[in-house]
Amino acid sequence: MKVLVTGASSLLGRSVALELAKRGDSVTCFQRSSSGTGLPDVRGDIRDGAALLAAASGHDALIHVAALVAPKAAWSEAYAVNVTGTLNAQRAAELCGRFVHISTPSVAFNDAPAVGADAEPASYEGRDVYARSKAVAERLVLQRSEVPTVVIRPHLVWGPGDTQLVGRIVSRAKRHRLIVPNHGRALVDTTYVDDAASAIVAALDHARAGTDAGNRAWVVTGADPRPVAELMSGILLAAGLPPTFRSVPVPVAALAGRVADRFWPGIEPPITHFAARQLSVAHWFDQRETQRVLDWSPRVSVDEGLERLALWFHNSR
Amino acid sequence: MAQSERGPASRGLDVTPTLDQLRRWGLEPTWSRLVTFAGADGATLTWHVLDTGPAPLGTIVCVHGNPSWGYLWRDVLRTLSPGWRVIAVDQTGMGYSERPGPRRLSDRVDELVRFCREEVNGPLVLAAHDWGGPVAVGAAVSLDVRALILANTAVAKPDDIRVPPLIAVARKITALTCARTPVFVDGAARMTARRHREALRAPYRKASRRAAIADFVADIPVRASDPSWAALSQSAQALASLQCPILFLWGGRDPEFHDRFLRDLRRRAPQAQVERFANAGHYVCLDEPVGTVIENWLVQSLAEPPAATAPPASVESPSAVAQDPTTFRTVLANLEERSGDSSLVYEGPDGVMSWRDLASRSTSAASALQRHGVHPGDRVSILIAPSVDLLIATFAIWKVGGAAVVADASGGIVQLRRLIKGAAPSHIVGTAATLAAAHACRFAPGARLAAFASLPGVTDLREPSKGPEFIPVINHANDVAAIVHTSGATGPAKPVRYTHGALAAQRDALSDLLEVERGEMFTTSFGPFMLLAPVIGLGFVRPDFDVDKPRELDFDTLSGAVAKGHVSTAWLSPASAEKVASTSAGRGIDLRLVMLAGAPISTSLVRSIQAITKGEVRAPYGMTECLPVTDGTGPLTAGPLGGTATGRPLPGCHVHVVALDDVRGPALVDGEWGEILVSAPWLFDGYDARWSADFSANVLREGRRFHRTGDVGYFWSGELFQLGRAQHVLRTADGPLASVAVEAPVAAALDRPVAAVGVGPLESCALALVIGGEGVVRLAPDSLASAARAATPHRIAAVLVGRLPTDRRRQSKVDHTRLAATVSDLLAGR
Repeated sequence: MKVLVTGASSLLGRSVALELAKRGDSVTCFQRSSSGTGLPDVRGDIRDGAALLAAASGHDALIHVAALVAPKAAWSEAYAVNVTGTLNAQRAAELCGRFVHISTPSVAFNDAPAVGADAEPASYEGRDVYARSKAVAERLVLQRSEVPTVVIRPHLVWGPGDTQLVGRIVSRAKRHRLIVPNHGRALVDTTYVDDAASAIVAALDHARAGTDAGNRAWVVTGADPRPVAELMSGILLAAGLPPTFRSVPVPVAALAGRVADRFWPGIEPPITHFAARQLSVAHWFDQRETQRVLDWSPRVSVDEGLERLALWFHNSR
Repeated sequence: MAQSERGPASRGLDVTPTLDQLRRWGLEPTWSRLVTFAGADGATLTWHVLDTGPAPLGTIVCVHGNPSWGYLWRDVLRTLSPGWRVIAVDQTGMGYSERPGPRRLSDRVDELVRFCREEVNGPLVLAAHDWGGPVAVGAAVSLDVRALILANTAVAKPDDIRVPPLIAVARKITALTCARTPVFVDGAARMTARRHREALRAPYRKASRRAAIADFVADIPVRASDPSWAALSQSAQALASLQCPILFLWGGRDPEFHDRFLRDLRRRAPQAQVERFANAGHYVCLDEPVGTVIENWLVQSLAEPPAATAPPASVESPSAVAQDPTTFRTVLANLEERSGDSSLVYEGPDGVMSWRDLASRSTSAASALQRHGVHPGDRVSILIAPSVDLLIATFAIWKVGGAAVVADASGGIVQLRRLIKGAAPSHIVGTAATLAAAHACRFAPGARLAAFASLPGVTDLREPSKGPEFIPVINHANDVAAIVHTSGATGPAKPVRYTHGALAAQRDALSDLLEVERGEMFTTSFGPFMLLAPVIGLGFVRPDFDVDKPRELDFDTLSGAVAKGHVSTAWLSPASAEKVASTSAGRGIDLRLVMLAGAPISTSLVRSIQAITKGEVRAPYGMTECLPVTDGTGPLTAGPLGGTATGRPLPGCHVHVVALDDVRGPALVDGEWGEILVSAPWLFDGYDARWSADFSANVLREGRRFHRTGDVGYFWSGELFQLGRAQHVLRTADGPLASVAVEAPVAAALDRPVAAVGVGPLESCALALVIGGEGVVRLAPDSLASAARAATPHRIAAVLVGRLPTDRRRQSKVDHTRLAATVSDLLAGR
């Protein structure tokens, strides 16, 4: 199968592209810079619909990973990348015949704990620009599906080389800015990057008529939920840092987040209101249905992932 | 003038429930309709009904009482349709039905018969509440009724009780309370939850609409000269003659139709099944999900052939088959055989007593009980702590043919009251203090009081007999001997009924198990076992401690008791055993045999008791409903799935392990775990007045009645291993796990108590381990979390540490339900 992967310069996009290539698919990567995968690259901006259409021609499927993940980005910018970009990708996918869109569980996050939850419909009440723009994109994708489409929401993807979760925790810890609401006791799911990639590949295989997977959003996790504090300590230890962080009560964290949302000068505040809320309540998911429908299951436990992460930190030092 | 020619307003048909009201009350608007049929005098009569429409199984016609209307059957309408057609009628002059003028009870019976003949084809079930009861029972004899359901009602006023207070007052001033003012309607509506009150009052807003309520109250016969006395008597006779299955639904908190009325009904229809809701009031049909109970009950009572519709009590129990009434050795046999024996049967802080004394003093107390109105079959509640008097009272009750109601006070006075009230005893035997409490808190309204003391208004059981010699009643195997109660450690305490046959079989089983030899004495920390000792033929030494606080039995108290007589055997609760072990300080007690039972026993506890006593330690499996089940040998045996070794099933006891969701399925093979089912000649007779509990806790298979223990376990080489409670099975995404099996290896590795609980969806939960420690439950430090994870092959979401909650009563079982709630909230971030 010939597959176009957008956003292959990201950890997840790159892993998906390599996973496909490994099993013999012919993969093209579409992003602004080099993907670093060694696979054929087409450089282009996701906001440029014509470029994407051109790149997609001749492919059998399109996997749309590219997104702007910045909590303090301007709405116009987030909209252009996450909404317009996704619609461009969908148009291009209609040429190919199959579409896998990568969304995020944040689209359904509404402050309530998600305890063994299913994938709830995306809501526009997302707490930050990223979640809201991804919610709009997901709903638009599911509203109009000319070709078999599967939406995957991988939950907290992490692994060696991850600049999002691992990168932020480590850099904040180094600057002594790592704070966690309520002792980090909330139970959260995470997804090791290899498992997220294999789930997306499974989604691609199920993006066809006659499966239960189509035209729905599926939350994908490693099905190994852990308390936030334990994940933080694990990541810090893997990075060779002392496993310490400051715990603050939830209201304080939420308030700090609100203040940072308004007044933090850079785009990377130490905490956002959204992150404060999200880290203070559980979000883990019942994966039985997802695993059955996608005929897929995760392989890397949190403990094994942390070992791999430690090895990677050790080797890259 | 024919009634049909009058306008709707003059007939009271101008007021109808609005669509909006019906929806608000949770009723389908299409259910509400008017039915016109031929009344007694040729005139037509129009009733308002809530009718769910044609259905395959048959029709349930529901009759309300006074003052209510068809809304009362809301839950039945909603739950049993569309399988059943449910018609909740509004009686003449009531609800939204026609108001043609006063009706007598006999008129109402006649109208119901006519309505059913006109409207119902196929199988008919009648359900009735309050004063609808005599109407429905009266009608049932004229109709082909398949089943009858009665809720908080009466067909006669028992001689020894007063007219229900609200009725008594209302009767005197009927016009004022019932018609001119809404006092009666409001007073009645206040007996249920606020959300039902609007609907209950709605048809009775104006004085003109309440006329029938007053007439109804005035028509209630309280003496033979009242016009409807004959009709009520007919209903009472009808109830006794009905052959169809009968279910009594009963709210235990009804000040009007209280438990004495239920007792009267049960006496008239002994074959009836009873579902008593201790916390429901007069409007039990609104207070409790009665629809589900009725649905299950109808399935069971109508599906089986008539012979098998009797309550589980009458399913031929093994004890009844095995025991010929003529040679049957009753629970009194050992006492009778030793009635001349001057050796001690009891030695305790309150004194000593010989077998001879127990025999003669219990006979004299029995004679006193008989003189004061205890008849065979009556229930007598005992409110006496283990003592000389307790033994005398219990044997006296059996000698007079009564059933002993035993409830202990460890659950608090509120629970004690609930248990006693539920058993509805005719007499209470107690002490000055307990009788004062029973009287003040109205444990059993109308029950007569007795004590081994001279108290005003209380029968003195020491009073010598002046009449002819008392001859003990002969108890038969199927007669009820005792009502005891489950501990309440694993759910609300339930009343457990035992027959004489089962108690006698239990005596023989315990006697074999303990290998009793004459002259040996016994001691225990279990209250009920103090009664069993003399039944078994064992003398008993009562340790000097509060039996309601098992944790107070320390080493010195136990060794003091053992030193008193020739005590060779002890039966200890786990909490007592732990206390004894922790206070022994290296000293020993000489005992031949120690039984540990009451909760899964840890091997460390077995080892410490072995070290102290140098005797044999056994941990037999059993529960209030069936004890003992296994012989308890080899308590240190390790099984492949972990758990507590309980030894081999006793001779005569049938034990199966079956798949969790398939109690009728094949027994599982060695090494496969599931729910434990038990059957034995000494199995309990049923939960008293708890039809639903009986229905779900008993299963008929292989021609025997098996008790579903709610415990999970497995067999290995013929031995039964107990893993814990079925409700504590953790259904993870990887399959079901028994919590004990998850806990044991971690507890062993860390040498600390551990509880495994599930969080998240019941069918796909995540596992959390809580390591026992000080303080509130919180996340465990990293090192402890890693150590715990390393000790288990299962995927653990979170490791926590903190104080493990134990159940209030036994103080030994970790309260997994409470702990799971705490852990769920904590990990959810709530």
